[in-house]
Amino acid sequence: MSTHSAGLVSAKTHVPGEVGIWVFILGDMAIFGLFFFVFVYYRGLNIDVYLQSQATLNQNYGALNTLFLLASSWFVAMAVEDMRSKVTRLAPRFFVLAMLCGLGFAVVKIIEYREKITAGITLTSSDFYMYYYIFTGLHFLHVLIGMGVLVFLWLKAKSAVQRKGELPIADKAKEMMLIESGASYWHMVDLLWIVLFPLLYLMK
Amino acid sequence: MSTRAQLFCAWCGVGFLVLFSIGWWFIAGYIPPMSPAMSAHEVAAFYQENTGLIRLGMVITMFSAALSAPWVAAIAVQLKRIEGESPALTYALLVAGAVGVVVLVVPPMVWTTAAFRPDRDPELIMLLNDFAWLFFVMTFSPFFIQNLVIGLAVFGDKSDVPVFPRWVAYFNIWVAILLIPGGLITFFKTGPFAWDGLLAFWLPFAVFFGWFVVMFPLLLKAIRQQGLPAEPA
Repeated sequence: MSTHSAGLVSAKTHVPGEVGIWVFILGDMAIFGLFFFVFVYYRGLNIDVYLQSQATLNQNYGALNTLFLLASSWFVAMAVEDMRSKVTRLAPRFFVLAMLCGLGFAVVKIIEYREKITAGITLTSSDFYMYYYIFTGLHFLHVLIGMGVLVFLWLKAKSAVQRKGELPIADKAKEMMLIESGASYWHMVDLLWIVLFPLLYLMK
Repeated sequence: MSTRAQLFCAWCGVGFLVLFSIGWWFIAGYIPPMSPAMSAHEVAAFYQENTGLIRLGMVITMFSAALSAPWVAAIAVQLKRIEGESPALTYALLVAGAVGVVVLVVPPMVWTTAAFRPDRDPELIMLLNDFAWLFFVMTFSPFFIQNLVIGLAVFGDKSDVPVFPRWVAYFNIWVAILLIPGGLITFFKTGPFAWDGLLAFWLPFAVFFGWFVVMFPLLLKAIRQQGLPAEPA
């Protein structure tokens, strides 16, 4: 009972990852928040024109990509959970699945960009598409960085499995801190998309 | 070890910020930035009405830009402490910092060229004005690399007493990413991604200034730490 409640307390006060990653995540989210605010403001001034442009987006691509990122976030969470407790072969496999989802996102995004560009819709076609390309482009950059992060996490998990998770407590804590930092970043990439998707594709 | 030269170099960063603000902002009056949607006659009128102030402001701005060189050098010395015998990121910082000086020196020279003969064809004044603004706001790449390599070097710091705290790595990479929207100004004459826009100008501009303000005390601390006598083993 006492161990159980101790676990609860630490779960409540535990901030995943290192402090620095939260400087980055909160900073980045603040900037994207500003982006979204600017978009909603200018959209409000000229809503019909924005809706016309929005109608030419393919919502299926956006929805599919939402599923890809949600699934990848789930795989990352499962991998972290595995690393935290037992360290089985599942952890690196979950990271591979997360990477595949990230790759799926990238492929869909490239197909979508291609389709739009061949239809003659570019950055300067309308204000809506200016925001569409810039916001999704910057988000795409975050996804690419995130793929690198996932490769790093996968390598960490693989080496942890190879030495069967046995590590001095201090080193283990450091390893978990890195893994949680990377995972937190990937969750942020997911979260930004979850705001971007309704904002660009759905909002009426 | 004397760290006096490093402290001097670090203070040059403050000198850069102060003189740059005085010359470019308060004397020449380039803040708030003029709109890229202005007509040639409006642009020419700006140079005709403020000729003397622009000339004076640009002398100061041009001078201040080079003060960023010692500032970058002081950061590079601290990165070298992290990197030791294989200082690739340190050299990358120095090269990017040197190019950064060029990026900060050339636009004032072009602005002052526009103010040199303010009675010439307004179209030509607008051409120079466009060139200076595009060169100034769009050229984020050397500063991007500068912040990126600082971030990467700080990540690589494995010592017990790190030169910079680890969050500085994340902070610098965040700043690097925030400078990117400046690269979009070539597409727009109005809106948030034009050269006078909230997201392409004000945000990177504020972040670039803020970066100095955050890094300065950390740099002083790192230099002082280096100057302390080594603990007897």
